[in-house]
Amino acid sequence: MKKNLLVPILGVLLCLWMASCVKDTDFDQAENITLTPVVELDLIYFDLEAADFYNDETNTPRLTVSDTTEIRFLDDTEIQESLKKAEFLFVFTNSIPRSFQADFQFLDVANETTYATSTTVAEGSPENAVLSEFTETVEGNDILALTQADKVVVSLTLPSSDANLEGSLNLKSKTTYYLEIKERN
Amino acid sequence: MRFLFCLCVAFGLKVGFAQNKQVLYGLEEVPQSLLLNPGVKVPQKMHFGIPFLSHIHLNAGASGISTYDIFGNTGEDINDKIERKIFEMKPTDFFTATQQWELLNFGWRSKRDVYFSGGVYQEFDFISYFPKDLAILAWEGNANYLGYEFDLGELSTRGDLLTVYHFGANKQLTNKLTLGIRAKVYSSILSVSSTHNQGTFVTTEGGDNGNNIYQHTIRNADVMVQTSGIVSLEDNFSAGELIGRSMLGGNLGIGLDIGATYDINSRWTATASVLDVGTIFHANSVESYHAYGDYTLEGIELIFPPLNEGQGTLPYYDNLEEELEQEIPIDTLNSSYSEMRPVKMNASLQYRFGKRSGGGQECDCRNKGGAVEREQVVGLQYFSVFRPKGPQMAGTLFYQRRLFRFLSAKATYTIDSYSSSNIGLGVVGDLGKFNFYVAADNIQRYGNLAKAKSVSLQLGFNIKFHEN
Repeated sequence: MKKNLLVPILGVLLCLWMASCVKDTDFDQAENITLTPVVELDLIYFDLEAADFYNDETNTPRLTVSDTTEIRFLDDTEIQESLKKAEFLFVFTNSIPRSFQADFQFLDVANETTYATSTTVAEGSPENAVLSEFTETVEGNDILALTQADKVVVSLTLPSSDANLEGSLNLKSKTTYYLEIKERN
Repeated sequence: MRFLFCLCVAFGLKVGFAQNKQVLYGLEEVPQSLLLNPGVKVPQKMHFGIPFLSHIHLNAGASGISTYDIFGNTGEDINDKIERKIFEMKPTDFFTATQQWELLNFGWRSKRDVYFSGGVYQEFDFISYFPKDLAILAWEGNANYLGYEFDLGELSTRGDLLTVYHFGANKQLTNKLTLGIRAKVYSSILSVSSTHNQGTFVTTEGGDNGNNIYQHTIRNADVMVQTSGIVSLEDNFSAGELIGRSMLGGNLGIGLDIGATYDINSRWTATASVLDVGTIFHANSVESYHAYGDYTLEGIELIFPPLNEGQGTLPYYDNLEEELEQEIPIDTLNSSYSEMRPVKMNASLQYRFGKRSGGGQECDCRNKGGAVEREQVVGLQYFSVFRPKGPQMAGTLFYQRRLFRFLSAKATYTIDSYSSSNIGLGVVGDLGKFNFYVAADNIQRYGNLAKAKSVSLQLGFNIKFHEN
C-alpha cells in the first residue's frame, strides 16, 4: 500500500520538474546582440618650435619635417571587422608666421600607403597664435583601407624658413571610433 | 534532452539564493537537515544515505534579471532589452550557481545518546557581481561619459569546486536543548577569485594644461585575480588528477558548523546554526595576477627628430607600451593564500499546533517543558550568507504539516535579493526504512522557468532505522 503511493508521488514530482521548462523565449536572438560602443581616444600630439624648421649646422631651411609612429591597434582583426566609422580631429595652434601643409599618410606593414589625408594650417604670429581645426571622417570602403594601416606618417611643409623665424606649432588630435561588435559567421 | 536543456538554462542565466535551503532547514525527518543545523533534533537511531543519491542540490539565480527579461519572445529588439537591463541593474546585483552532490552520508546514535554523523559531498559554488560600469563602458564606450569615473572595483567574482569531508556530533543535553557540532575538511579542486578590486578609469578633457585633447586616466588601480588548481591542470588535465584532488589531494582547509535547537515550551521552538566557519589554504598550483598603479594616457608625442635618409624614427608605440607596463605592472604571483569559506547563518522560530503526532507519548510527565510533536507547524526562518560584497539575507515564512504517518510536507514563502514572491514546497516520506525527500523553490515559476530569477532543487534517498 505504502509502496504503491511512492511511485505516483515521485512520478508527479518528476513530471513537475520535467514539464517545467522555458517558454515564450527565443534564444536565437543571441545572434542579433550587437555592441555599439563609441570610443574617444587621443591620437598624437606635438609641439614644434620655429627653430625646428631651420638646420643651424648647415644653415639651410628644413622645409619639410616628418615623423612616423606605429598605431598597431588599427590593423587588429577585431578592429578591421568592427570599425564602422572613424572621425579624426586635428587641432593646430600656430604662432609661426607661415602657413603649413600637413599630410597624414597611413601605411601598412609593407610601408604602402593605404589611406592619406591633408590639410592647411593657417599662418599665425608670435603675438597671436591661430587655431586651425581639421576633421576627417572615414567610413564605408575607406574604413577597409584605413584599417590595413598600422602606422601614420605626419609631414609638415612650409613655403620658406630662415634662422630668425619665431613661434611654435602645436598639434592635438583624437579619434572617435564607432564600433559595431557582434557575432560574425 | 528537454530536462538537460532546462537545467542548462536554469544554470546559465538564473540566480537565486544559491545557498539557501529554506525548505529543508529544520525538516528533521531528513537526515541531511543535520548539514543545515548540526543541532537539529534527530529522531532516528541510525541512517545511511543511498550512495551518490542521498543529496543532490542544484541552484542557480540572478538578482535583478531573468532569462525572460533578455530572451523573452516579445518582439522587442534584444539590444534594447539588454541596454535597459544594464542601466536598471545595480552593481550589487549578482549571478550565482551552486551545486552539491553527496557521495556518502551516515549516522548512528551511540550508547551515550550522542548522534554521530559524517559523510562526503562535492560542491560547486559560483558568484559574480554585475560590473555595471564596465558593462556600460563595453556597451556604449566612453564618448558619452567624459568626466565619469568608471569603477573597476565593481569587478567581483568567485568560483570554487571542492570536496567536503565532515564528521559531527549531536546530543540532546536537556529536555529543552539539543546541541550539535560538525568538523569539516575541505579539499579544493579548483578555485578562482577576484574580490577586493579597486580603481577608476576616466576620460577627461585635457584643457589648456593638457598635452592633448583628452586625458585617459587609470587611478589607484589594484586588481587581483587569484587562482588555485588551474595552472597545473593546463599541463596535466585528466579525470584521475581531479579525482585525486577531490580525495584530499588538493588544497586543504578546515571548517566548523555549530547549531542548536531550544524548546521554549511544548509549542514554541527556536533554532540557530552557523555553517562553514572555515578557511581553505591554497598552496599548490597557485597562480595569481596583480595589476596596480596609476597611468595617464595622452596619446603619442611626436618629437620629429632630425633623421638621415633611411634612418628609422623613434619606437613611440613600443615606448608607450613599455611605459604602461611599468606604471601598471601585471605581476604573476605564486605565493600561497588563504580564503574564507562563505559563512552561512540560519535561525528559526516555530510554533506547533493541531493534533499530537510523532512519538505518541501518552503523557508529558517525563518530558517537562519539552516539545510535543504536533501535526502542524508554522514559523519564521532567517538565512544569510557572507558574500564578497557583504551578507545576502533571506526571510522565510513556513507551514509544515504531517499529511500521513509516513508523509510530511512543508511550504515556504521567501523574500530575498531575487524576489519577494518565492514559494517553495517540499515533501519527505518514510516508507518503512526507506526515506526520500524532494524540495524546490520558486515552484510557481516552474510553468515557465524563464521568468524565474532563481531556482533551487534538492532531492535524495536514505535508509533510516528507528528506535523500535
